[in-house]
Amino acid sequence: MQSIIERIEKEIAAWAPEVGAEETGIVRATSDGIAEIDGLSAAAMSEMVFFDPTFDRTLVEALKDPNPIYGLVLNLEEDGVRAVILGDSTKIHEGMLVRRLGRPLSIPVGESLVGRVVNALGEPVDGKGPTGAKEVRPIEREAYGVIDRASVNVPLHTGVKAVDAMIPIGRGQRELIIGDRGTGKTSIAIDTIINQKSEPAATRPVCIYVAIGQKESKTAKLAAELDARGAMEYTIIVSAPASAPAALQFLAPFAGATIGEYFMEQGKDALVVYDDLSKQAVAYRQMSLLLRRPPGREAYPGDIFYLHSRLLERAAKLSEERGGGSLTALPIIETQEGDVSAYIPTNVISITDGQIYLEANLFNKGQRPAINVGISVSRVGSAAQTKAMKKVAGKIKLELAQFRELEAFMQFSSDLDVETKKRIDAGRRMTEILNQGRGAPLPFEMEASVIFAATNGYLDSVAPEEVSAVEIKLREYLAREAGGVLTAIRESKEIREESEKALREKLDAFIARTASVA
Amino acid sequence: MIDDYTRLLEATAELEDKAAADAAVTKLILHLKSAGRMKMLPEIARELKKVAARRHALRPFVEVAHRKEEAAALRAASEAGIIARHAVVNYSLIHGWRARSAGKLVDHSAKRALLQIYQKVTL
Repeated sequence: MQSIIERIEKEIAAWAPEVGAEETGIVRATSDGIAEIDGLSAAAMSEMVFFDPTFDRTLVEALKDPNPIYGLVLNLEEDGVRAVILGDSTKIHEGMLVRRLGRPLSIPVGESLVGRVVNALGEPVDGKGPTGAKEVRPIEREAYGVIDRASVNVPLHTGVKAVDAMIPIGRGQRELIIGDRGTGKTSIAIDTIINQKSEPAATRPVCIYVAIGQKESKTAKLAAELDARGAMEYTIIVSAPASAPAALQFLAPFAGATIGEYFMEQGKDALVVYDDLSKQAVAYRQMSLLLRRPPGREAYPGDIFYLHSRLLERAAKLSEERGGGSLTALPIIETQEGDVSAYIPTNVISITDGQIYLEANLFNKGQRPAINVGISVSRVGSAAQTKAMKKVAGKIKLELAQFRELEAFMQFSSDLDVETKKRIDAGRRMTEILNQGRGAPLPFEMEASVIFAATNGYLDSVAPEEVSAVEIKLREYLAREAGGVLTAIRESKEIREESEKALREKLDAFIARTASVA
Repeated sequence: MIDDYTRLLEATAELEDKAAADAAVTKLILHLKSAGRMKMLPEIARELKKVAARRHALRPFVEVAHRKEEAAALRAASEAGIIARHAVVNYSLIHGWRARSAGKLVDHSAKRALLQIYQKVTL
């Protein structure tokens, strides 16, 4: 008590009236989370303002709820401005005083955010108290230019065999995950985050998961899952749930990018998942319509492409002079009835460096992940693949594409020649090998070893329907019996001659044992 | 077009010459009739009301905590570029004064100071 009294007395003694005028505005009207404000003629675009609830109240009333409500200026007009309300809009009323903050919308960033769940303004929402982040950064900034960037050539392992083998992702890349609802888009992103646990701490990326317009129960479940798997140690969740104002849903990805950039500029690697940008586009459309901006195609505003391009351009691999850090982006887009030619999907496809397309048909057939290999691509390609993975996975994509052709043909003909039947069986086996359940990402050396076994004929004697069971046994066997080989592959990132020899010996032994048991 | 008419009438209103304002309205009505755009008249009136409300909200306005502070407050506000004829008593200011005009605010009240101290101490 004494310390509080002393502090108050000290503040009173030190207080001097502020000299000079400040620029303010008055709320003319408010509706649907948008405030029309008279005045603020010098306010800048994207500047933060706050609605002062204390101005027209008595001191006693003001002290009951002195917290300001923030707003973001998004329309500069002849007689005033329009701002989106970033809080409880029911507290905003006509005639309310609005003050400028004189800075663009900013959020706190720092190491102390790791392991926390925050909202789009960087405020903690996990009930664990203040984050303690001191540095504040504007959420909108220009992306790094050509000179500051380096080429993407370091892999980011997802732990998903199909992705790491056929659609490799590099650190600093932007890889879109696209598909209908319930096809496993989030699962790939979450597996990727969980898989970073197997990375050495020095090269492990800080992961940022941005939940946009999702159910709070889903985000809570996800946070609990990441916590249980030990992934929250290096993960930050930015949550803008469906119940949050549209403005916060629109801002959340930018907040995620800002946090990621902080780590990138420290020379570290960061991974940011935007789940999903379709909902962000819908929130932005809602805001734009309420701000009376002219609607365009599908009622989206004219700058919807720029909204996503300026966000995704912030993903980068920095040059050595800039510290060599990276920010990898995994945006997610939800399609309707598999229509990738809709407005937002085509926009984001054209911005990103490739896409992982998940198909409902494949999902319903039991393929996990339900990746359509034909139209999935990584434009960074093998530059972001380890030598080991390049060696074992070189022809998988082509073989699978051929298998899909033959599979279609198989439906029309019952009499197939031996060669065709062999190819179909090989394709089915490969499909089974690439099948992988949710929440079970594999370390890269295990992925390489399993795919090595499949592409080098070690599983040819196994019936396609038994491949999954055999693969599980193979993984257990390799973990138990071939620890040295796996370590060598992990450390050298390639399958050298001696490793290959040792791996072949182990695989021969495994096949012999499996055959004898059968 | 409504904006153009509103701006013209607004400029006329600034003259504070009632006869000139009446003449302007008469001319506008004649013009709208001849152009067959009489339906615009209610919209123009609505726009003018909005302009008047905006002007009212942004007018020079000085508040004092006590009547005895009025003269000093008006003088200080005038030095800050806010010229008002009278000040309104607002006891919630506790002490001092505050003035605002056209989006500018000068706050020399004890209430503001106490709130700032409260926020510093509690944060």
